[in-house]
Amino acid sequence: MHQDNTPSLEHEILSPLIQRSISFLKEDLEIQVISENIDIILPNKIKLKKNTAMLGTGGNVQVLISMGYDDALLAQVVEAFLEGEAIEEDEREEIQESVSCEVVNTIVGNALKNPLDGTTLSITPPILISEAKSLFKQKSSQIAAATITTEFGEMLVTVVGPKELFSQTFNFKEL
Amino acid sequence: MLHILVVDDSLIIRKNIKKYITNLGHAIAGEAKNGSMAIEQCKELNPDLITMDITMPDMDGIEAVKQIREFNKEVNIIMVTSHGQEEMVVSALKAGAQGYLLKPINEEKLAQAIANIYEDYTQELDDELLDDEFLDD
Repeated sequence: MHQDNTPSLEHEILSPLIQRSISFLKEDLEIQVISENIDIILPNKIKLKKNTAMLGTGGNVQVLISMGYDDALLAQVVEAFLEGEAIEEDEREEIQESVSCEVVNTIVGNALKNPLDGTTLSITPPILISEAKSLFKQKSSQIAAATITTEFGEMLVTVVGPKELFSQTFNFKEL
Repeated sequence: MLHILVVDDSLIIRKNIKKYITNLGHAIAGEAKNGSMAIEQCKELNPDLITMDITMPDMDGIEAVKQIREFNKEVNIIMVTSHGQEEMVVSALKAGAQGYLLKPINEEKLAQAIANIYEDYTQELDDELLDDEFLDD
């Protein structure tokens, strides 16, 4: 948390996502992560990866979370999900989209709880952003992002939410 | 051998769960992409067991379980979700599910979840038989 005890997008949301992303890549998919010291950035604008899936959280903590991959990394993630099973070439794209969405769903569900009361943070079904472009920060919003580098390329984890987490829905400090 | 209905909006998860079911020696009764389809498939196929995702578009898994319980009290249901919090487990069990499977899923986890339900079921039968024996005596 910040020094004034206000929960922040980067500490309460992005940090647990980074930790679970790293463990998911390493332990569940057996993909090597090059460095586990990940820098968090708070940019005004960020260019998303071409292969990006996104979901939102609901209730009193409303943020958008996206995870994008370099082509080679996504291909490896798909292979890991398939567990050696061969697929028809014409179903590859649909499987790839499904895996992109499943990864964000699993990591967010595993990693996040409501920073206010520790309860389950509801999440929307994920969507795929095809040929994803850029996110721009607005006046009352904030973007926090981190890049995880693996042996097969990068995974970009991005969170967009209110500038002061919770300030748009309730006053955390009064609780 | 159990006839199992697989409910998940994710193609890769349906594909993997179907593979695990076959590997474990059970049969795939059918598959559905959302809660509404699951209800229809349950009425039509009368499966022994359902694996039910929680987060789905159209109708989520917890609502689907509640509606299935209105017409089918017998089918066993394992909820599948990425949420690890106890609160979600309680919601799923309150809705009428017997088991709970945390993503990421693998064959071993599914086998264990099935075994947990059917061991309970076997234990219930054993207990009933024992009661009957005592009554007979």
